[in-house]
Amino acid sequence: MMNVDLQNNNLKRPPVAQTPGQRLATLLSRYPEASIAVVAIVLVIYFQVASNGGFLSTQFMSVVLRDTSRLAVVAAAEVMLMITGEIDLSLSSTFSLAPYMMVLASIVWGVPLWLGAIGGVGLGVLVGFVNGFITVRFRVPSLITTVGTLFLLQGIVVSIYNSQPIVAPVEEPFNSIFGESLYDPLASFMSSHIITAFTPFLWSLVVILVLAGALAKTRFGLHTVATGSNMVGSREIGIRTDRIKIYNFMIAGGLAAFAGVLNTMEFSSADPLAGSPFLTLQAIAAAVIGGTSLLGGSGTLIGAMIGAFVVSSLNNGLVMVGAQATTSDIYLGAAIVAAMVLNVQVDRLRTRKRK
Amino acid sequence: MIEQEIKPLAADAPNVLEVSHISKSFGAVTALVDVSLKVKRGEVLALVGDNGAGKSTLIKILSGFHQPDTGTMLSNGEETRFASPRDARARGIETVYQDLALIGDLSIYHNMFLGREQRKRFLGLNLLDNKKMRKLSRQYLDTLGISIPDVNNTVDLLSGGQRQCVAVARSIYSSPSILILDEPLAALGVRESAHVLGLIQNLRRQREVSVIMIVHNYNQIFEVCDRINFLHAGEIVLDASTSETTEEELIRVVKSGLGKNAISAAAAAAEGRAAPQPH
Repeated sequence: MMNVDLQNNNLKRPPVAQTPGQRLATLLSRYPEASIAVVAIVLVIYFQVASNGGFLSTQFMSVVLRDTSRLAVVAAAEVMLMITGEIDLSLSSTFSLAPYMMVLASIVWGVPLWLGAIGGVGLGVLVGFVNGFITVRFRVPSLITTVGTLFLLQGIVVSIYNSQPIVAPVEEPFNSIFGESLYDPLASFMSSHIITAFTPFLWSLVVILVLAGALAKTRFGLHTVATGSNMVGSREIGIRTDRIKIYNFMIAGGLAAFAGVLNTMEFSSADPLAGSPFLTLQAIAAAVIGGTSLLGGSGTLIGAMIGAFVVSSLNNGLVMVGAQATTSDIYLGAAIVAAMVLNVQVDRLRTRKRK
Repeated sequence: MIEQEIKPLAADAPNVLEVSHISKSFGAVTALVDVSLKVKRGEVLALVGDNGAGKSTLIKILSGFHQPDTGTMLSNGEETRFASPRDARARGIETVYQDLALIGDLSIYHNMFLGREQRKRFLGLNLLDNKKMRKLSRQYLDTLGISIPDVNNTVDLLSGGQRQCVAVARSIYSSPSILILDEPLAALGVRESAHVLGLIQNLRRQREVSVIMIVHNYNQIFEVCDRINFLHAGEIVLDASTSETTEEELIRVVKSGLGKNAISAAAAAAEGRAAPQPH
């Protein structure tokens, strides 16, 4: 055998004793969701105790999980883009525009909501394509491209109908399947309507699981990671990196539109200002504290989901235990900075021997 | 330890690649002038030369990245033109560029199969067959004698030598007839270089793949290469077999003021005589 001969120049390194820090870093890099999961559990316990059991009530959880779902879907969109090394700040505008067009089409032309929703998601995909195309073809950084489309689309959606919110028509079962809550806290706990209190959350769970599966188990997912990790190398191997990026922009646009539809059904109203840029920033925050780095090449959708839950728990829970509503921003801001430092340090510790 | 004999290069080995009278300019800059080069089956050919001598341009033409302005290329005796690296690959020419094109965040086995993923159908979906890719990578690296503790590790955890080996292994997985290596030993330490040289020795032992490599270190050339082509200012000024040349002669040729003189010097060196001093 040939490998026998290689023994003399075989570079088997003597086993290097890992420091506890390195071992922890290796663990954290393998399961980047771990740290945020611990934070989430601690938060739930804290709020549950501080609110005398009110936090985990069906009613309150319904609110927290609705906020979570909205953030999680947009955060999932950002995670996919962040893995390829891009970002989309225009998602909040798509979030407003898509359902607004859906409701408008229903009222003006009598288009059924389900068809309008498909059209709205299609519109989001188209916006994503435009963002992606401008970014890769004209080599404009996506941060700039999407700040442009953020204002452009926001301007369009408020000028369509004098920035008036429009009441959404009710076309059951569409409304309750996609976010309207039929849950009545006073009704029997066993009422089948209880599930409608959580439909947006279930939808976000579907989105997260499908994307996580695609990322880990498909060629598209592999090429997405490769593109973000080493674009030049990916090209030399023959991966169409431009196409991969555009696809991810399209996925992101479609998801933002879908989140907007859920939101509109939840409030039974299409508000042209439903998605403020703050929504996108909170979603990016959720992605980052969930363990996705802004540097490209890695990211976790499960982490983004838990991150979204932590952000919504902070927003709602702190108010519940009597803090000022604005206090949560202090925690959130600190958490983002800490998470980013942690992400970078974990990676450095893990690969210290090599860099 | 079983030291395996290196098969001598068969005297009648056919040329797998033969380029004749190739020239290439980029605007006003002339990169290659009337370059001719031959590689026999199983031969390890060293390309040497200073920075800017045209080595990179030459291998980029061979790998289909650039197209020559004039000249012809014969691949296995048939005249060919490579419009793209894909064409060259289809003709059995694989290239490992200096940056290796490895993806740091992906596992070794994903890197091995990137762009030609093994997939399986599951519920009507085409999913990655990670198990199979893991197994095949493990086996393949073993047969090449590349020691990698765990193919699940990401590439950014590997040393430079291991990375080079993984990149070479990936390139020869598709059984190319020619492997082009752009400075495979450039950023490596002594032990790591030894590791990569061992891998090239293995290829040479089997004599199934021809290797064209850019190298700078003369020791390494004499260790693994059958023949040397020396490029200077876009021309090949020396074509000599390592078995008929000594390191000192080579160095003398390189130092001896290059140009037309060097060719006669080279001819002399190739015949094993002392090269005449140019002045």
